[in-house]
Amino acid sequence: QSDCTLVTAVSCHDIFDLQTGQSDSSPLAKGTAFAFIKAVQSVNERLVKLSEKQTLLFEVILLGKDCEEQAKSKIFDSAKYYLEIGKFCFCSKEKFERTLQENHVKLFLSSDRDDVHVPAALLCQQADQQVQNQLKVLFSGDLIGLTEDSTEYLKDLGFNDVQIHNFKAAKGRIQEFAMLIGEMRRRFGCEDSPLHTILMTVWGSRDICATALKTLRAWGLDVDEAFCLAGAPCTPILTVLQPHILWDDGLHN
Amino acid sequence: MNKINHQQTANNVETQSVERMKAKDPPTPSKKPKSPKPQNAVTIAVSSRALFNMEFEQQIFEQKGMEEYLKYQLDHETEPFAPGPAFPFIKALESVNEQLRNLYPDSEELFDVVLMTNNHAHAGIRLINSINHHNLFVERFCMTGGNSPIGYLKAYHTNLYLSADSSKVREAIEEGIAAATMFSAEKVTQVSETQLRVAFDGDAVLFSDESERIYKTQGLEKFFEHEKTYENKPLDHGPLKGFLEALGKLQRKFYAKGHRIDCPIRTYLVTARSAASSGSRALKTLRAWGLETDEALFLAGAPKGPMLAKIKPHIFFDDQMFHIEGAAELGTVAAHVPYGIAQKMPPKKTKDI
Repeated sequence: QSDCTLVTAVSCHDIFDLQTGQSDSSPLAKGTAFAFIKAVQSVNERLVKLSEKQTLLFEVILLGKDCEEQAKSKIFDSAKYYLEIGKFCFCSKEKFERTLQENHVKLFLSSDRDDVHVPAALLCQQADQQVQNQLKVLFSGDLIGLTEDSTEYLKDLGFNDVQIHNFKAAKGRIQEFAMLIGEMRRRFGCEDSPLHTILMTVWGSRDICATALKTLRAWGLDVDEAFCLAGAPCTPILTVLQPHILWDDGLHN
Repeated sequence: MNKINHQQTANNVETQSVERMKAKDPPTPSKKPKSPKPQNAVTIAVSSRALFNMEFEQQIFEQKGMEEYLKYQLDHETEPFAPGPAFPFIKALESVNEQLRNLYPDSEELFDVVLMTNNHAHAGIRLINSINHHNLFVERFCMTGGNSPIGYLKAYHTNLYLSADSSKVREAIEEGIAAATMFSAEKVTQVSETQLRVAFDGDAVLFSDESERIYKTQGLEKFFEHEKTYENKPLDHGPLKGFLEALGKLQRKFYAKGHRIDCPIRTYLVTARSAASSGSRALKTLRAWGLETDEALFLAGAPKGPMLAKIKPHIFFDDQMFHIEGAAELGTVAAHVPYGIAQKMPPKKTKDI
């Protein structure tokens, strides 16, 4: 595991459906993260195809927070049916943060809006479990386009100073992840890329969006698609886009 | 119309939502007005090549490919594009909006323009710079990086889609979205900056192509007979009926405030039907739909170019390239609606419907 590895942590609750009752022998049913992991695998495959000694790759760690012993063995067994996961980490709720840091996790993905201190993003439910042939990563233009001068419109929307301060901090945290994604994206051409990046600005003006595009470019990431909604509802657009990863730090709740 | 109850909002101090914004005083002149909700507005989606002149860049794309094209866009990022064929139309929409806002400050029944482009976001900054340079009110855009715009058109409740790419326009029409293909023109007449003028062909644009089929397959005499027999039976609707309807709704808002004669929106029917015979069914159909155009011009087969040159519309919709070309020759911005029988049959040498 080098500095370049894009270590992503996913909760076992998202990979497998742990709720429904299972007979002892059958593997666990697939969860939200399944489509994401498949898409990540195809990105890695393509990266390795380009260069065998590739170090810039995704690594997915499966995290189990407060899992029962029975569940742990079920998870181990089921994983081998479906996926190649790099690592399994089972820990208690208290040690969760530490586990993330010890494993150099660059992004923690969850279908819940968990409160963690490493960069975290929302793992999106795919409309159908059919695997897409592209890993789609969506960044919020409202966050990335955030500058000292542009906080007015967030205040107008009803966000207080503490929240705005948190958004600024989030913008700082996502940089490393965005830079790695940018580098990965550059390995592929404009068309036929297994990795697809999207910028979505929900409330900010077109100038906020332009700032976000320039910021990402400075970080080495040229997004494929860009949307500026100027306050239009984002659900219809997201339904068409179907991103796997949505990074907006809770701004668009 | 949404009336805002300031007293009520002031009591809901705890709510932390977008509603808070409405409680503030109306925006000061320097602040841009908020974009209307898509379902309330008349949404016009326009592609980058329809809005701007990107012919040179398009050539690079066609001859040298995507990478070269994007590199060129990047290198010329600070150079704004010149206006494209849809530009005057879009500018006129903004003028109508200003006048609507004066009369109805709280209403969201306005035009809303969305830039709907297939372009990669790499070209995004140049497009935003161009929008800023020309001071256009385009706040919403979708740069789909090569993906189909159809899903997004629907998400925005698009009332009209204008693009230079005929295959996308055809796709939109098949999905029930009013759409037309735009072409760059050599010569474009100066049009009004304060009154929006929209001209429509009748058959296969406002109406279905049912009568045009008869003309094309059975000839002019049969067509006249048929139209006379079914004079009182409304024609079926065509792809742009909904857009005329949307324009009519906005027109009535001006009428309600006493602006009938000088209404900032004016619509025209420009049809090859003849006033003496087949034209009657067209008018009766519009009436049956509760719609009207300000002027109806029955050319009885005469070329449309000269009449349009007199009207000076911002845009003219027709299903036949023959008419589009005739209009463009005399300086009218004409958009092609790729719908109906005319797309499958070559134009007749004699009078066309």
